[in-house]
Amino acid sequence: MNVFNREMKRRQKNWAAVLEEGHQYDYLRDEVGSRVADRVYDIARTFPLALDIGGGKSHIAEHLSQKLRRQSEIPTQCVLADEEFLPFKENTFDLVVSGLLHWINDLPGALRQIHAVLKPDGVFIGAMVGGETLYELRCSLQLAEVEREGGFSPHVSPYTAVTDLGNLLGRAGFSMLTFQDIDDVQVHYPGIMEVMTDLQMGESNCAWNRRSMLHRDTMLAAAAIYKMYGSEDGSVPATFEILYMIGWKPHESQAKPARRGSATASFRDLSKI
Amino acid sequence: MSGSNVWSRSRERLRLFPELLAQCADEAAVYGKCVAATTAGKQELRKDLCAKEFEALKTCFTNAVSPNLQICTWF
Repeated sequence: MNVFNREMKRRQKNWAAVLEEGHQYDYLRDEVGSRVADRVYDIARTFPLALDIGGGKSHIAEHLSQKLRRQSEIPTQCVLADEEFLPFKENTFDLVVSGLLHWINDLPGALRQIHAVLKPDGVFIGAMVGGETLYELRCSLQLAEVEREGGFSPHVSPYTAVTDLGNLLGRAGFSMLTFQDIDDVQVHYPGIMEVMTDLQMGESNCAWNRRSMLHRDTMLAAAAIYKMYGSEDGSVPATFEILYMIGWKPHESQAKPARRGSATASFRDLSKI
Repeated sequence: MSGSNVWSRSRERLRLFPELLAQCADEAAVYGKCVAATTAGKQELRKDLCAKEFEALKTCFTNAVSPNLQICTWF
């Protein structure tokens, strides 16, 4: 499965990283980082060794260390690796977190590798943008291109639907899944140009089937159409649907569904409680 | 790439886009409504269905650009 041009994505991320004011565009990544850290803390266990895939500027680690009472830094080591070819031995990590799953080409394969590098009873907590993210931008560009040029090409990446997450995690071998966890973040911008400028911070389109240019007329038309989504004060919303998923590597200590016919109480007795 | 080149110059011009568009808010709204109407109505969106409204928007935009001497009318 080859959807994204990863060489291009690496270059885009490098461009974004050398920008002087780059950190001011990181608000969404920061937010996602803090919510993933929240979920890590929700689990009543300590994790001696953790892997953060797609760490970037370590948004998740930053929030994890802020929540510790003592001001100790979590010792981290950065490795430049390919998330589709993890260079780690099997059964190494207690915890794997990731905030970057929406640029992976072979998502089932990557999840299987994450499953492999986890220790038994290890947990994987991931976040990705999916579902209805940026549908306003997608629709505006699509309508503008149809009206101005007679056809349209994809400008927004294809996303995973929430309903597919369960299958994906199950096929990778995870058990005790949590995946209906969706955060709808709406960010308001002055207009379409600001949306696209902010998205340039490492999140530009890099699908193989993208067009290399956007007509000025189409841009103008899309800007006008996007305003239709806008509100009274003239700002327009951009929706980011963030999907969170938690999967555990199977282990004997984990609770299993009880055998059929082994029930000792009946639902009928509920009314008697 | 350092220094002034075609990429940095065209990005500079693009930066002015939102202000210029704000000056043509009415024409933009008319065009936007025309296109949005097709998503609700029975008529499917075709090329140049709202061409008249778009021409009005583009004229307004071009006029908004020209008073600024630094930009040549590149539309």
